[in-house]
Amino acid sequence: MPVIEVKLADFLEMLGKELKLEEIRDTLPMMGVSWEGETEDGFMIEVFPNRPDMLSVEGLARAYSSFIGLRRGLRIYEAKPSDYTVIVDRKVEAVRPYFASAVLKGIEFDDALIRSIIQMQEKLHITHGRKRRKVSIGLHNLEPIRFPVTYTTRPRDFRFRPLGEIRVMSLEEILKGTSKGLEYGWILEGKEEYPILIDSKGMVLSMPPIINSEHTRIDEATKNIFVDITSTDWRAMNEVLNIIVTTFADHGAEIYTVHNRYYDRVVETPDLSPREMELDPEYVNELLGLELGQEEIASYLESMGHGVKLGNPLVVLVPCYRTDVMHPMDLVEDVAIAYGYDRFIPEIPSISSPAGEDPLEVFCRRLRDFMVGFGLLETMTFMMTNRRNLFERMCMPPEPVAETENPKTEEYNILRNRLLPSLMEVLSGNKHNPYPQNIFEVGEVILLDEREDTGARTAKRLAAALCHSRANFSEIKALMESILSNLGLHEVELEPSSLPCFIEGRGVEARIGGRLVCWAGEIRPEVLESWGLEMPVAGLEMDVEILYELALNMGG
Amino acid sequence: MDPKLLASSLHENERRIMRVLNERGAATFEELSLALDLNRDAVEKACAWAESKGMIEVERRSRRFYQLSDEGALYAEEGLPEKRLVRLVMEGFNEVEALKELFPQINIALIWVRRNGWADVKNGRVELTEEGVEASARETVDERIIKRLSLSPAGEEEMGDLMDRVSLLLRRGLIQRSERVEKVARLTELGASLIPFLEEVEVIAQLTPEHLRTRSWTKATFQRYDVRLPAPRIYPGKRHFVSQVIDYIRRFWVELGFREMKGPIVELAFWNFDALFQPQDHPARDLADTFYMKTPRSGRLPDPELVRRVKETHENGWTTGSTGWGYSWDPELARRCCLRTHTTSLSALAISKLREEDLPAKFFSVGRVFRNETIDWNHLIEFYQTDGIVVGDGVTFRHMLGYLKEYLERMGVERFRFRPGYFPYTEMSLEAEIWVEEKQSWMELFGAGMFRPEVVKPLFGREVPVLAWGPGFDRIVMRHYGINDLRRLYSNDLGQLREAKIWLR
Repeated sequence: MPVIEVKLADFLEMLGKELKLEEIRDTLPMMGVSWEGETEDGFMIEVFPNRPDMLSVEGLARAYSSFIGLRRGLRIYEAKPSDYTVIVDRKVEAVRPYFASAVLKGIEFDDALIRSIIQMQEKLHITHGRKRRKVSIGLHNLEPIRFPVTYTTRPRDFRFRPLGEIRVMSLEEILKGTSKGLEYGWILEGKEEYPILIDSKGMVLSMPPIINSEHTRIDEATKNIFVDITSTDWRAMNEVLNIIVTTFADHGAEIYTVHNRYYDRVVETPDLSPREMELDPEYVNELLGLELGQEEIASYLESMGHGVKLGNPLVVLVPCYRTDVMHPMDLVEDVAIAYGYDRFIPEIPSISSPAGEDPLEVFCRRLRDFMVGFGLLETMTFMMTNRRNLFERMCMPPEPVAETENPKTEEYNILRNRLLPSLMEVLSGNKHNPYPQNIFEVGEVILLDEREDTGARTAKRLAAALCHSRANFSEIKALMESILSNLGLHEVELEPSSLPCFIEGRGVEARIGGRLVCWAGEIRPEVLESWGLEMPVAGLEMDVEILYELALNMGG
Repeated sequence: MDPKLLASSLHENERRIMRVLNERGAATFEELSLALDLNRDAVEKACAWAESKGMIEVERRSRRFYQLSDEGALYAEEGLPEKRLVRLVMEGFNEVEALKELFPQINIALIWVRRNGWADVKNGRVELTEEGVEASARETVDERIIKRLSLSPAGEEEMGDLMDRVSLLLRRGLIQRSERVEKVARLTELGASLIPFLEEVEVIAQLTPEHLRTRSWTKATFQRYDVRLPAPRIYPGKRHFVSQVIDYIRRFWVELGFREMKGPIVELAFWNFDALFQPQDHPARDLADTFYMKTPRSGRLPDPELVRRVKETHENGWTTGSTGWGYSWDPELARRCCLRTHTTSLSALAISKLREEDLPAKFFSVGRVFRNETIDWNHLIEFYQTDGIVVGDGVTFRHMLGYLKEYLERMGVERFRFRPGYFPYTEMSLEAEIWVEEKQSWMELFGAGMFRPEVVKPLFGREVPVLAWGPGFDRIVMRHYGINDLRRLYSNDLGQLREAKIWLR
C-alpha cells in the first residue's frame, strides 16, 4: 500500500490551523490511515487503496479538516464550461480506449504544490492506475496547445521530441531507449500502433501511457494546465481526473470542462457533481449497534466530507473525489469512523450456536498427546519443499506432486506428498544437539486428486523418526505396533516394503483390510549420508485419515 | 551429629580412601589411585566430597620435578655420546677423520671426554686416559640419573646427593626442571573418629533387585546423598510450543461457542479472492504475493448459479445495492489454483454452505496460509491464521469489537486499540494494534471487519451481517517466548524445543 510523505508546514497551511505533530499523530490514524512515523520536517502515512483522494497533501488535509470539525460537509467544486475539444479517434479502441480531460487555470505553482503533485501523480499511477496499465495521467502547459487536440494512434516510426530528451525520437526508439519507455513499454507490447495525443498544428502532447512531449513542458511560470487521462477503465479514469482537478482547485485553480468527442457521443469532463445515495438510519444503527438519530448520523457524515439531505431515508451527497463509496455500507463505515472506533463499547452477544471441533482435528490432537507419551518431541515443518529433499535425498523415485508456478526461492517450489522427509530435514539441522533425537509430527501433505475441484487434496499424516546410536528396525516396528494396538487395530497384515528409503529387508508396510496405513523401517545409509547424518535413523509414516476411519469402526 | 549418620552419607570410594589414610597416615592422590586401583578422576571426586564433609584435609604442595628433555630421552636409548666414543676408541677406531664418518655426534663427544679427563686428541688421534679406560667399564653417575628419569620424573628429595651432576645435566639441556602441585590427603579428627563406623554394615548406593530378593537391605544402611548436587539433564517428549498455542486457541473458540470450519490448502482463486469481492486486477492477487499453481493449474468452478452471482456482483453489483467494480469478470482467472493466502477462504466456503435455519452461526478455523515472500527475519512463506465469523441478523460492529477484545485478552495482550483499516471484502474494516512499550508506538497486529454485502449476498442469498476476522498469532507467540526472528518459530531446533517453557494459558 502506498506511503506518502507530508511536510508538516504544507499540511498545516492547507489545513489553515496550527496543530502539534503529536495531536496529528494521535488523531489521524483514527480517520483511517496508518501512521508510518515522523520525518525531519513532517510525517509519513500509509493511505489505504480505497482512498486515493488522500494521496496528496491537499486531499489529506481536506479529509482531516472535516474529520476534526474545521470544515464539515460537502465541498462544492465547479467546472466552468469551455470550448476546448478533444477528438477521440476510433483507432485507439484497440490500444487504450478511454480518454478524459480538463483544463485548469490560474495556478500559482510553489514548492509545496509541485512536491504534492509529483507525489500524488506517482502514487496514483502505481495504485489506482495499476502501474499506468489501467490509468495514466498527463499534465501539460496549456499555452502552446492548439485545439482541437486529437487522441489517436501513430505507427512506430512516427517521431517527436519526448520530455527531457534533446532530440526527436521515433516511438520505437522511445520504448527502447528512454527510461520511461523501458519501464512502461510492456503496456503497449504487441500493439500495431501506439497512442498519441496531438494538437491541430501537428504538435505532439504525449505518447500515453509512456511519456509527455518537451513541447508542453510545465515549469514554475506555468499558469494554465491541460490534464489528460487515458485508460482501459471508464470509471477509474474519471475518478483519477476528479482527484487531480480537485487537488488543484484546493490551491485556487479554476476548473474548465473539455468536450471529449468520441465517434458516437460527446462526453464533457470533468463531472464534479456529487453522487446521491440513500441511507436508512435504521440500517446504520442495526449494523453498528448504536442508537443514533437522523441528525447525529447526518453530522457524522458531514465530518467525513459528505453532504446530507435529512429525511428517511437520508439522502447523502457523496463528493466526486470519493471513489470508494460503492454501497450504503460504505457510508455506515464513514459514520463509524466519525463516531470514533475508540468510542464503541465492545460487547459479546448472547448468541447460542452449536460449538465444537472437527472430529479429525480432535483425533490428531489425541495422536500428538499419545506420541508425546513415547518421549517424542513434536516438530512443525513447512509443507513447501523441493524435489531434492523430497525425493533425491530420500533415494525415492520422483512422484507427481503439486507444484507452484512462481516461487521466489526455488528451495520451496513444490508441496510435500510425504511427511517423513521433513523429519529427516529436521534431524539434519540438529547435529549440534544431544542425542537421542526422537521426533514426530502430525501434519499435512498435498496429494494430486482428480476428484477434487482443485485437482489436489489436503491429507493428514503422522510421521516419527528415532535417531540415536542404537536406533533400529525393531524399535520403530514396536512403535508402529503400539500405536495401532492402542487404536484398537489388531488385524494388521505386514509385508516387506519396497520403498528405497529403507534398508532392503528392513522396511515394512502395514495394511488393514487391504488399506495401507503405515510404512516404517530403518533408513538406508545412502539417505543418512545425503542428509549428512552420522547416526542411525528408523522412521515411520501413517495415513491419519484411514487410521481414524478404521479406529472409529473398530471402536463401534 | 551422630557419627553413624555421618558415616552413612559416605560414598564407597570415600570410605576406601579413609581406610587407606587411616593405615598410612597420609597419601598423595597418586598413591591413593595406585592403592585403590581407582582412576585419578574418581580419587579427585571422592576426596573433594570427603573434604567438603570435613572427613579429610587436603594439602596442596608445590614440588620440583626433574625429567628428561628430548635430547636426554634420546641418550637414554642410545647411550651418552662421550661413552659411545670411548667404546669406539677401545674397539680401535681412533682417527678423528674416520670417526667423523662413523659417528655424527663426534664433536659433542669430544667436548665431554676432554672435560671428564677421559681422553686427549693428539695428531688427529684420540688417546684414552686411564680414567677413560676405567669409565668404559662402569655406569657413570650421569648415566644413573638418566636411567632413573627415563622411568618417570623424580622429585628433588630423591635427587638429593646427585644434585651436582643434576645441575650439570640441566645446563647441558639433557634434563628439565618443572614445578607440580601435589595433593596430599590425611584424615581429620572427625574423619579419624568415624573409622570405627565404616566397617559395620554394607552401605547401599543403588538399590538392586538382588537386595530386595535377598532382603539384604534390612542389614545394610543406605548411603545418604547430597541432594543439592546437580542431576544429569533429561529432556521430555513435548508438544511444539506453537502447537500448544494452537490447541489453546482452538479450545477458547470452542468455549466461546464456535464450530470449526475446514477446507483445502490448494484452493481456487474463486474462493480465495473472487468470492471475497476482490477485483481481478487487485494488487493483492498479483503473482508477487500469491503462490499460483503450475500443477494443478486450474480447477472446476462450483455451482454455476453461485458463480453467476459473484460475476454479476463484481461487474455491476448484482442485486446487492452496490455499484460493483465495473469491469468484465473472467471465469478463467477464478479457475486458477493457488495456495490459500488466508483462511478467510474457509469463511466464504462456510457461508456458502449455510442455510437460513442454520442462523445464527459462529465458525472458527486455525490453519496454514501461504505467501510468496522472500524469507527473512520478518517474513515467512507459511504461517498460521485463525479465522472467525459470526453470521446472524442483529449482529453488530460492537459485537465484533467484543469478540476481538476477548481474543486479545485471552492471548495475553494487555494494551490494544482498534482503528479504521481497509480490506476489499469488509466494511467496517479495522486494524487491531498493540502497544509496544519498548518502541513507544502502536504496532498493527491483524485486521478484521464485517463482510460487505457484495460478499455475503451472493454466497448466502440475502444480506445478513457477518463479523469476520483472521488474525495471525505469530507476533504474540514471539513476544511471549522472547523470539525476535520469525524464522525461529519453525526452525525446529531441538535444543530450543526442549528448553521452551510450557504454554500456561
